[in-house]
Amino acid sequence: MSEIVTTRIDQSLPAAGRAKRWVFRVGLGVVALIIPLVLLGLLAFLTLQAWPAIQFNGFGFLVSNDWDLGSQYGTPVSVDGHQVLPGASYGILFLIFGTLASSLLAVLFALPAGVLSAMFIAEVVPQGARDVVAAVVELLAAVPSVVFGLWGYVVVIPVFSHYVYPLMADVLGFIPGFGGPVGAGYGLLTAGVVLALMVVPIITANVREAISAVSRGDVEAGFALGATRFEVVWKVVLPQVKTAIVGVTILGLGRALGETMAVLMVSGNALDIPSNIYSPFSTMAAFIVSQLDSALQDPTGMAVDSLSEIGLMLLILGIIVNSIARLIMWRVRG
Amino acid sequence: MSSTVLQSRLEGMARYRYHRRRILSLLGWVVCGGFFVLLGFALVDILVEIAAGGFPALNTKLFTEPTQGVSGGLANAIEGTALLTAGSVLIAGPIGIGTGIYMAEKQERVFSRVVRFMADVLVGIPSIVLGLFGYITMVVGLGWHFSVLAGAITLAIMITPYIARTTELALLALPGSLREAAYALGATEPVVVFRVLLPSCVGRVLTGLLLAMALSMGETAPLIYTVGWSNYTWNGHLTHEPLGYLTYVIWSFINEPFESAHQLAFAAALLITFFALAITLGSRLILSRLDKS
Amino acid sequence: MFVKRTHRGRSALLLAGVALAASSVGTAFAATSLTETGSSLLYPLFNLWVPAYTKKHEGVQINTAATGSGTGIAQSTQGIVQMGSSDAYLSGAQMKKHPSMLNIPVAISSQMINYNVPNANSDHLKLSGPVLADIYSGKIRYWDNKKIESMNSGAHLPHKRIVPIHRADGSGDTFLFTQFLTKSANNWKAHYGTTVSWPSVQGAIGATGNSGMVTALQNNPYSIAYIGVSYKDQTDKAGLGEAKLKNKSGNYVLPNKQTVPAAAAQMVPKTPKSERISLIYAKGKQSYPIINYEYVLVDSKQPNKETAKELKQFLTWAVSSDGGNSMEFLKPVHFMPLPAKARQLTMSQIDKIHG
Repeated sequence: MSEIVTTRIDQSLPAAGRAKRWVFRVGLGVVALIIPLVLLGLLAFLTLQAWPAIQFNGFGFLVSNDWDLGSQYGTPVSVDGHQVLPGASYGILFLIFGTLASSLLAVLFALPAGVLSAMFIAEVVPQGARDVVAAVVELLAAVPSVVFGLWGYVVVIPVFSHYVYPLMADVLGFIPGFGGPVGAGYGLLTAGVVLALMVVPIITANVREAISAVSRGDVEAGFALGATRFEVVWKVVLPQVKTAIVGVTILGLGRALGETMAVLMVSGNALDIPSNIYSPFSTMAAFIVSQLDSALQDPTGMAVDSLSEIGLMLLILGIIVNSIARLIMWRVRG
Repeated sequence: MSSTVLQSRLEGMARYRYHRRRILSLLGWVVCGGFFVLLGFALVDILVEIAAGGFPALNTKLFTEPTQGVSGGLANAIEGTALLTAGSVLIAGPIGIGTGIYMAEKQERVFSRVVRFMADVLVGIPSIVLGLFGYITMVVGLGWHFSVLAGAITLAIMITPYIARTTELALLALPGSLREAAYALGATEPVVVFRVLLPSCVGRVLTGLLLAMALSMGETAPLIYTVGWSNYTWNGHLTHEPLGYLTYVIWSFINEPFESAHQLAFAAALLITFFALAITLGSRLILSRLDKS
Repeated sequence: MFVKRTHRGRSALLLAGVALAASSVGTAFAATSLTETGSSLLYPLFNLWVPAYTKKHEGVQINTAATGSGTGIAQSTQGIVQMGSSDAYLSGAQMKKHPSMLNIPVAISSQMINYNVPNANSDHLKLSGPVLADIYSGKIRYWDNKKIESMNSGAHLPHKRIVPIHRADGSGDTFLFTQFLTKSANNWKAHYGTTVSWPSVQGAIGATGNSGMVTALQNNPYSIAYIGVSYKDQTDKAGLGEAKLKNKSGNYVLPNKQTVPAAAAQMVPKTPKSERISLIYAKGKQSYPIINYEYVLVDSKQPNKETAKELKQFLTWAVSSDGGNSMEFLKPVHFMPLPAKARQLTMSQIDKIHG
């Protein structure tokens, strides 16, 4: 609309005005270029930095399970044209597993909690109090992730490792992965719980919005058929926001996959695939922080390059997951 | 069997089913409410724990003295957080608002859609990846070392897409008639945007900036390898000098085996949580006012 | 290191485009500002040193940070910081790249082997390198294993699974512990270094930081861990056991005022001028097997005379027996002062620092 209008006006403008318009348009276009450039820059620089590691590690990087910087005091050797420490090998299968397992656990907890609490806020809480009540859940999103980590460290770890996990191991021990030693509280399940709390507000806020956008006509029709309010919400409203729920769940998954500080503080940072749901593990994001220091001791630089390769994987994973989530959510909003 | 008996039986069944459905529905709501209470409890517990640990550590020394090893005050960290936050908003603000204007005013263009999509994707990129990027390019590549500028730019990358999207949505929420009226009066595009449209939605754009600020001040991961840590207050250098910030204290000092370190960690957590929540709450209030008017 | 290789080789063109005027801002250091970063073992000592020193020398600012030995090494060799603290000396490959670096010992530290075996925590159980290697490889799984029992006749050893705890983050402690295993036990197959690819042992736990190790020991009965001696107050408070370690002469010793100096006495005469030497597994009847020099890594060539002067003055104070090496500072962290001969070597290294 404005395009047509402005084009017409443009011809009647004096030269000075036209110049101003040109500066405005070009300037705006240049500024708008920055975000795409930054995204491309992220990809370019991480790929450049990781390139020697990509060549040295090959495909084994993703499927093997051995992060070994090699002998620190050994003389660097040449492998396929790359200088590395003797015995160095890099495999991050345990990180891929840890990242996916903790994020899926988080989403598994956050999905019902987020959707059901959104239903409660949108349909039970009276209109006037809704914003205030919604803030209770949605303010969780404003708590810095390092504060979640601190809370996990001083509250969740001691309480869960003393009371919850031993009980779970006793009762659910017959299920593979739920039995065995419960350890010190640093681990997969603890991280899943903390991450869930960080993902929940995203789900609640978006589902609440989607619910309130559902046509009231359908809702009235449900009531007219004699359905209870819960039945109407459960059978009429929720199916209509199904796609939105899927989209926002994937968005939440993306948040959990990349979360660093909270995981770093409660995961136990193990270099193995966890033996059960209570065991220490690590994620790609947390590993970059916990291991950069060690990697810097490698005089050949291959360790840092390999960490950059993890960063590159995380970036690509982030782009894929968020693209899918946004495409779904865009479709919902039309 | 008479028809009345049959009827009453059917009615009884219907009533039974009705009651069962009522009870099930009630149970459903109880479960929903239960989850809500659980989440509320988590938030309250986080706040209570932080307050319980942080309040006893609050004193004037905290705001006037820099950190000495793992004791002393937090003046350096408070100043550092303020600098990094202000710096990132100063860099990201103009770029984000400009991008937002572009996306709102050139709605139909393919490039506009591309930028919008990339902004949405960039918002979701793990912040540690941005930190690693800042480390590779600025700290090491450009030789800036750990510094305010490296940290502020890294944070700016994180919040620019956020500001761009909130600005875009703010502009799009304006009635179309406003735009048309302005153009009909013969105003040029820059005049329409800067004199008419932006002033009309300045509240929303500013709340977007505020929320971006809250995001920025609570971050840790992108700063660990771009800003470093310093016991001293800022000496005016943009590059080459590390800087303290509050979230670092939380993460690093809680792992030290000293009581004074734990107190500082809790005090820092209290301060940062208080400011982040206050800004977020304030913005929500402003937004709900704007929605009503 | 990584800076130059990547920057020059691959990213230079791209970076040139991004380079901002800001890189020229603030390049000059205040002549009196010194920055230390690195080892978390040395950090508590630096935190005692710096306030005491700067109180007497008002013209100098000293910044400290516990970022880990790796960062200490990387940043001191790149000239980002003046002092990089490290539990380990620079490797041959690193010295080749940065020949002007000095490895300056400022104190002697030791490492404890702690355990949590209810009813045996006050016994000082006896352990050896080969036994520890077997425990951390999963070959010895129970506390009442024959190898442990034969060393500890009379001790109450339960038939409980051993929980080996190791550092999950990169750490100088892991470096010292695995170096001890490598030197004392033929059966230790993994490398030694700050991050080790630990043999997979069921129930093994990774903990972060020395305080994480203490907590993990407390929370896991029948566990074992290696912890830097500066955390002795914490392990004592938690009521954890401290093992006697078998030394090269076959005696079982605790780290204390006799055994650490005894080991140092064996190794100090062997210390070369560069002071790059491992003190692990020293000879001698009384010697405690895991001790080490705590290093401050310094570039002998400083950017200017003023920085060089302040740096020399501080380091000289730090190693002097009436300054930083007095018991006032070393006792709270359970470090041992430098022996006279080591101090001599250190002083002549400090003399090499110039502007």
